[in-house]
Amino acid sequence: MVVPLISFILLCPLAAFAVFGILGLANKRFPRQDYLSTAAMLIALACSFLLLREVVPSPEAHTVDWLSLGNVTFSMGFYLDSVTVIMLIVVTLVSSLVHIFSMGYMHDDPRYPRFFAYLSLFSFSMLFLVVSDNLLGIYIGWELVGLCSYLLIGFWFEKDSAANACKKAFLTTRVGDVGMFIGMMMLFTKFQTLSLYGEDGIFTLAASQLTTGDMVWLSIAGVLIFCGAIGKSAQMPLHTWLPDAMEGPTPVSALIHAATMVAAGVYLTARMFPILTETSSLVIAYVGGITALVAATIAIVRFDIKRVLAYSTISQLGYMMLAIGAGSYVAGLFHLTTHAFFKALLFLGSGSVIHAFHAMHAHAHDDEKHDHEHADDEEYILGSEIPPDQDMRNMGGLRHKMPITFITMLIATLSISGVPFIFSGFWSKDKILAGVLGRAMEWNSIHHYILFVIALLAAGITAFYMFRLIFMTFFGEPRNQEMHEMAHESPLSMTVPLIVLALLSFPAVNTLWFNKDYVKPPQQSHLHAPTHAQLAPDTKTGGTGVALSLFGVSEAVAAEEDAGQGTQDVHGDDGHHGSAHTAHTIAMVLSIIVAGLGIFLSWLFYHRRALSAESVATTFRPVYNLFWHKYYFDEFYDGVLVALTVWKARLFARFDGSVVDGIVNGVGLVTRDILAAFVGFFDNRVVDGLVNRVAKITWAIGGRIRRIQTGAIQTYLFVVLVGIVLLILIFRVL
Amino acid sequence: MTLQHYLVISAILFTLGIFAVLTRRNAISILMGIELILNSCNLNFAAFSRFMTPEDISGQIIAIFGIVLAAAEAAVFLAIILAIYREFGSIRPDEVDTLKG
Repeated sequence: MVVPLISFILLCPLAAFAVFGILGLANKRFPRQDYLSTAAMLIALACSFLLLREVVPSPEAHTVDWLSLGNVTFSMGFYLDSVTVIMLIVVTLVSSLVHIFSMGYMHDDPRYPRFFAYLSLFSFSMLFLVVSDNLLGIYIGWELVGLCSYLLIGFWFEKDSAANACKKAFLTTRVGDVGMFIGMMMLFTKFQTLSLYGEDGIFTLAASQLTTGDMVWLSIAGVLIFCGAIGKSAQMPLHTWLPDAMEGPTPVSALIHAATMVAAGVYLTARMFPILTETSSLVIAYVGGITALVAATIAIVRFDIKRVLAYSTISQLGYMMLAIGAGSYVAGLFHLTTHAFFKALLFLGSGSVIHAFHAMHAHAHDDEKHDHEHADDEEYILGSEIPPDQDMRNMGGLRHKMPITFITMLIATLSISGVPFIFSGFWSKDKILAGVLGRAMEWNSIHHYILFVIALLAAGITAFYMFRLIFMTFFGEPRNQEMHEMAHESPLSMTVPLIVLALLSFPAVNTLWFNKDYVKPPQQSHLHAPTHAQLAPDTKTGGTGVALSLFGVSEAVAAEEDAGQGTQDVHGDDGHHGSAHTAHTIAMVLSIIVAGLGIFLSWLFYHRRALSAESVATTFRPVYNLFWHKYYFDEFYDGVLVALTVWKARLFARFDGSVVDGIVNGVGLVTRDILAAFVGFFDNRVVDGLVNRVAKITWAIGGRIRRIQTGAIQTYLFVVLVGIVLLILIFRVL
Repeated sequence: MTLQHYLVISAILFTLGIFAVLTRRNAISILMGIELILNSCNLNFAAFSRFMTPEDISGQIIAIFGIVLAAAEAAVFLAIILAIYREFGSIRPDEVDTLKG
């Protein structure tokens, strides 16, 4: 039952896209592409829920041989474990809701059907990536979602900013993908296979064949594959494409650039978990941690509602990476799931706000307006022009105008800020913090203490800027009276997905993650053992599997899962529950404190106005500038990489102009003046001479012979008669 | 009267016809010469038919066809002569020599 179900889940969106594609070839349109695509997604969603019942406790892989080259066989197949099923549900669920939301949001767009076709293609690609059991399949899905992201960011390609943003996204992620491909090839060279699971899979082979000496090599491979995730999940330093990707339609931002595609990097890293060595894990954790902090600080000073959310996404993805790097496999994926729901909700909510403002601002008008606005704006920098309908400085007091949007976005904000107990974000974030701290205590590792502090700081800042967004948008007095008058609550097709997603932000629906029998982290085989043992001798006997399961799944929260309000006094079955328990308590208390602090400060700044954000910004001018300019990443890329490329291109152009052209022209000159002259001489004298001579001779003979033809009939007749007589005589004689 | 008599007469007619065709300076006379040649042929057909295969009269029928043919040919010939006269103002064959090489 499993294979047909998965195939069906994959085929539904693909078929919806194929209808558009095939009819498109004939220059026709299916009249209701939106219904078709949405129906396909809903069916896939239903099938995913069926799979939830089907899936057996033990993971299973279903493969077929796809391609044989020499003695190497590439296989294609599905790998189904609890994580796959949960990812399937997350993707199909968010995708379905975004489809429904788009019916309202995109309704007046001239390329309305195409939008849905792209969404379908994206859904297929993402689902394919999720269920693939081998690196090749993952890579195919990986590139396909990249393509869809490109198409959808550039959906309004009439706008220069959108066209540039989609190119930027595509090229930036490509940088990471090159690393990923090299990593894949390293594994392939070693193991002669790209399959991950099963007897001949990479994981089994890595566990059985590799020795301690291979650790460096495996670390490099792991980090290189992680490079792909850096690009796709917008981690430092390849994160700059994601904020610009907000040029795409808001539902796209919600589905692709918040909930699903960008999480693919986290998913990939989690999939590669068994072969991550200690070194590569640490690299991953640091990249994630630094990204989480840096992106959060940038988000504080943004005014574009979508960019705040974009940096927030980067920050939260960094969190997940940090979790996986710190060995908290389950925590990372748990946060992926909760984040998918509340971030999709935040984006759709911001879409609803933008939609409310949008009616009065036609696109053309927009562009004209802010071109003019920024002509003499000193602070104008790349990617920072804000359309007025997305500028939080134009909003305020919207909670009365848009009650549903307000309440649902508030729920999501409480969730992402880590408000304790009743919101899912708290549980997943708490799990990550506990995981990092637990590892720090267990390994007595300074790195993980640093990472814990970073994560805690990021959590506080997250609470701050999210409430800043809420206060600026929904509270206070309307700042732009004219726009406020026009604002209105969105239609049903947009509010219903918001409500559904808001319900998903409560932990009750995320219970699967609390069930330790359902989601099990894979064993990181023996790879850690040697160094690990030196660091913490007492973990030697327990082995890494135990250490990992400690922070990840071991919470037996079955009892509290429905309400999600129970206490978190749960820990591993064996070994180290002492330190795990301590870590958990400390982490929870600290996370509640920083979240509270962040919210309180935000309230002081943006609601009570007891403190002025402007005066603080003036006091700490350099810091503010650093945040405002996004740590000068774009400037750096512009000034160094782009300038270098342009300089190189100039160099090559000059080389092309002088050397290559010189050679070509020289060859041309030699050919024309020497070779051609000789050939021309030969042609004129010999060939033409021959032809002319033949013609002249023919002419001369003809001139003689024509005399015979006198035109006098009787002469002819006479000749004929003589001929006949002669013939008769000859035949008589012979 | 034997076959030889007929053949002799036919030969004489044929020779006269050839002579007329070759020597006359008037197209009409050439036509008359041609008629003589045709008739000599018809005579041959009829004579051979009569003396060689008396039961089968197909030779004589061919002679009749020949006469019909001659009539048709004369009509076409005269039409051509008329056209030539209109074009060149003459029916002397040695003056109509535009087909020379």
